[in-house]
Amino acid sequence: MPLKLEGIRFAYPGREVLKGVETEVDDGEIRVVFGPNGSGKSTLLKIVAGLLTPHDGRVVVGDRDVTHLPPERRNVGYVPQDPSLFPHLTVEENIRYSERHGRGGEELFERLVDMLDLEDHLDLKPSELSGGYATRVALARALFSEPEVVLLDEPLSDVDLAAKAEIVPEMREVLKDFGAPTLYVTHDPWEAERMGDTFEVMVNGRTVRVSDVEEALEVLRTGGAEVARG
Amino acid sequence: MKVDRGLLVESLFPPLFFLLVVWPLVALVLDVRPSGIIKAIGDPYFWSAVVNSVLCAAAAALMGVAMAIGFGYYHLFKRRSPLYRVADFLNDLPIALPHTVAGLALLLAFGRKYFWWLGENGLAFTLVAVVLAMFFVSYPLAARTVQAAVEELGTDLVDVARTLGDEPGEAYLRVVVPAIKEGLLGGALLSFSRSLSEFAAVIMFGGNVPGKTQVLASYVFARVEAGDFDVAVAASVFCMILAVSVIALVRSLSGEFTRAAETGGDTVRVSG
Repeated sequence: MPLKLEGIRFAYPGREVLKGVETEVDDGEIRVVFGPNGSGKSTLLKIVAGLLTPHDGRVVVGDRDVTHLPPERRNVGYVPQDPSLFPHLTVEENIRYSERHGRGGEELFERLVDMLDLEDHLDLKPSELSGGYATRVALARALFSEPEVVLLDEPLSDVDLAAKAEIVPEMREVLKDFGAPTLYVTHDPWEAERMGDTFEVMVNGRTVRVSDVEEALEVLRTGGAEVARG
Repeated sequence: MKVDRGLLVESLFPPLFFLLVVWPLVALVLDVRPSGIIKAIGDPYFWSAVVNSVLCAAAAALMGVAMAIGFGYYHLFKRRSPLYRVADFLNDLPIALPHTVAGLALLLAFGRKYFWWLGENGLAFTLVAVVLAMFFVSYPLAARTVQAAVEELGTDLVDVARTLGDEPGEAYLRVVVPAIKEGLLGGALLSFSRSLSEFAAVIMFGGNVPGKTQVLASYVFARVEAGDFDVAVAASVFCMILAVSVIALVRSLSGEFTRAAETGGDTVRVSG
């Protein structure tokens, strides 16, 4: 089911961060969102996840307006910048966390474990994992809950380059296989190029569609604000 | 002439610290007499005071942590509620409020006036009163410790748990509480050690009945009042050893927490 954001506005005390964001992400599409620090990318993901309420605008999944639903009723998979694995649970328990809410299933669990190469790590605690594996577990946990929308907020920011080269194609394959609309926030052009189907830049509180990473960087470098003011 | 301020501090702090903090403790230890130790060991009221102190302080610490878990929930999810603001404000009250006043307040609240139906004095002058008095003065320490632990944990874990289907209460109990278990233990130990040292509130509300509601702090007071100075000193040194042991435990645990936090968990990263 496609994700549609209509006129999303949001302000922190004394500072308007989002000034009417409009965008649409189709099923199976991975949309990379670029933007400088503090431009509101993470805020936007939190609004889609239901962790923040927009001051104006609508979040629509398929034909369902979820703007005022709490996160637990939205069915959104969310991976924050820090993988935020539950430290007292094993890898398997982390992945299966949403099982008690009737989500996931044995087949999905096996598929995610296989695709993300987690078979040998299931009994480990998060503190025993490298950054790359922690991210894989966080992604598996989010997808196990069978989300209608996937949100990834700089999930590889703590992962070194070698691990990134390995994990990016795997993540892309899993996300494509899963087929939900995905918003992927990153600063890294290399990662964006390999992960994204479509690209968007966040400038001046709005998002601007661009054709590729090069254009995204150009918009950021030169005319971002002007383009955004449109 | 330029004054070396570092030198000024270094020449003032050590002598004042030793005179005002270390010397009284040393003086206490120097005054211990074998006869006092023998008399204290042979006094059944001393041992009942020890048992009362430890058991009541443990009960107060458990109550304190249970309440602190509730306060932590409000800190995380209901920070704008009037109840949270009042609870947060009152956490500082026992620092400024004389503990005799706290004891009197407890006596009025749970004594014969409102709790006559529980007995002649309500809850006053019972071990329950001792526990409540200890809880009243020590709970804020547990609450502040849990508050700091929740704050340090941040909101990402809860955010993720909620997107996975948990309501706030479920996310708090299933994710936050296990994740801050060190903070809970630290809060319990601080609360326990503060309870062990409480005198004024305990004596006002729980009384000082030897063998019944007397605790170590009030036992020392009673021995001094009775002119039994040797026993008072011996019991005081026992209190000091107990206090030092608990503080050492708290410090070693907080060292463990810091090391765990620095390595990103309880063990080093090994895989992948």
